[in-house]
Amino acid sequence: MTDVLKIAVEAIGQDTLRVILGLIGVLILVVINALMLTWAERKVAGHMQRRIAAKEVGPFGLIQPIADSLKLLGKELITPMKVDRVLYFLAPVICFIPVLVSFVVIPFGEGLQVRDINVGILVILAFSSLSVLSIFIAGWGSNNKYSLIGAARSVAQNIAYEVPLLLSLLIVVIMVGSLSLKDIVEAQKGMWFILYQPIAFLIYFIAGVAETNRTPFDLPEAESELVAGFHTEYSGMRFAIFFLAEYTNIMIISAVATTFFLGGYLGPYLPGIVWFLIKTYFLVFVILWFRWTFPRVRFDQLLNFSWKILIPVSFINLIVTGGILKL
Amino acid sequence: MGAAEIIFIIIALFTMIGALMTVLSGSLIYAMMGLISTLFGVAGLYIYLNAPFLAMMQILIYVGAVSILIAFAIMLAGPFTMKPKEWTTVTKFIGSIVVSVVSFVLVFRAIMQTPWVQGKIKNFNVTTKDLGRIFLDRLAFPFEIISLLIVIAIIGAIMLALFSRRQG
Repeated sequence: MTDVLKIAVEAIGQDTLRVILGLIGVLILVVINALMLTWAERKVAGHMQRRIAAKEVGPFGLIQPIADSLKLLGKELITPMKVDRVLYFLAPVICFIPVLVSFVVIPFGEGLQVRDINVGILVILAFSSLSVLSIFIAGWGSNNKYSLIGAARSVAQNIAYEVPLLLSLLIVVIMVGSLSLKDIVEAQKGMWFILYQPIAFLIYFIAGVAETNRTPFDLPEAESELVAGFHTEYSGMRFAIFFLAEYTNIMIISAVATTFFLGGYLGPYLPGIVWFLIKTYFLVFVILWFRWTFPRVRFDQLLNFSWKILIPVSFINLIVTGGILKL
Repeated sequence: MGAAEIIFIIIALFTMIGALMTVLSGSLIYAMMGLISTLFGVAGLYIYLNAPFLAMMQILIYVGAVSILIAFAIMLAGPFTMKPKEWTTVTKFIGSIVVSVVSFVLVFRAIMQTPWVQGKIKNFNVTTKDLGRIFLDRLAFPFEIISLLIVIAIIGAIMLALFSRRQG
């Protein structure tokens, strides 16, 4: 094994090899994470409603997601007749790009990071805006009124919630003085930023839940009114890719929250990656928990909440933090 | 031709095909997709020129915000699928050709007359800190002028919205 690695390092150089291995690792992580989260979502839902949820396939129903994915893989890909073919095929592809790119810069452990880019957080934020685009294209290309309404809602929602999300992260960036995620984690050696900036964390988390279109902000796919929103016309593997992206986005939002506010991989006794995963999956659990405790908000409530409360509060927070740092 | 040139040509082609699609497509939504690929291509050129901060800002602002706003506007305006030849008149055609030729000549002359630095620049490493300092130091005046422009645009948009609401 070490010989193979040595030959590979000589052939393409250490940096390139690191990136390639990192990307393979990221792909594996994305798939396993999505599989586990479909299982976890059912289990959380079941136990919160005093049901048992999946339990037949494997111990505790753990093999259930694999059975589901085999079913999705085997399904026929149905393309409705009147869709805009180019946009319809392009949408699942575009929604998968940000998912892969974001993981490249997230530090999972002290040395466990595919690439430490000095504008790290900007990479995540820049590429995550592509997921709105994919929802828009999917809704438009499907040529279906429910899809289009879902897409329109998604675009309006994302414009509204991107601003507080960026502002609350900017506060931490100002405190650290760096855009690199690794520097931000290292700056939390003494104290986690959630203790300095609890309001920024709350705003980030609310905006993050809205950005991933989860309950209580799941208006783009509101099942009870829009069938399934933007992915109504998608079936089989294309539908699965949308779900893979959604579950990965939940993890990215939680991972960024962990990195920015909860000290990332820092923690006593256990290795860094364990701490990172514990913190991240705790936040993921909270997001799953939201789904079964909060009713869906109305659309005007959703937009008013962002424009009238979250954005002014995060602006004030930013100004106050800047002032205190300068004193 | 080295790998660097090949990458440059691929990015440039991607940018130009996107630009052509934006101008020539009859469907607004495809024009938007063309615009997005052009903006991505320009971001690629920034990375090629070793300016990752600028590239990420390009994607964040133009792809993430401006294109999404364009998408929003398209949704409010409704479907628009006429072919260009159905609404292009002779005067419009001639006018567009005159405008594009004149602007091409102007930009081309400006590029040719600029004395470009030849050869390799060593240690070209501008950080975000340097950029921020320049904005609040040497380029403070143009920076403030731009923010004034944005304020005027916002006030204009609010006025338009208020008046149309009163009339409706």
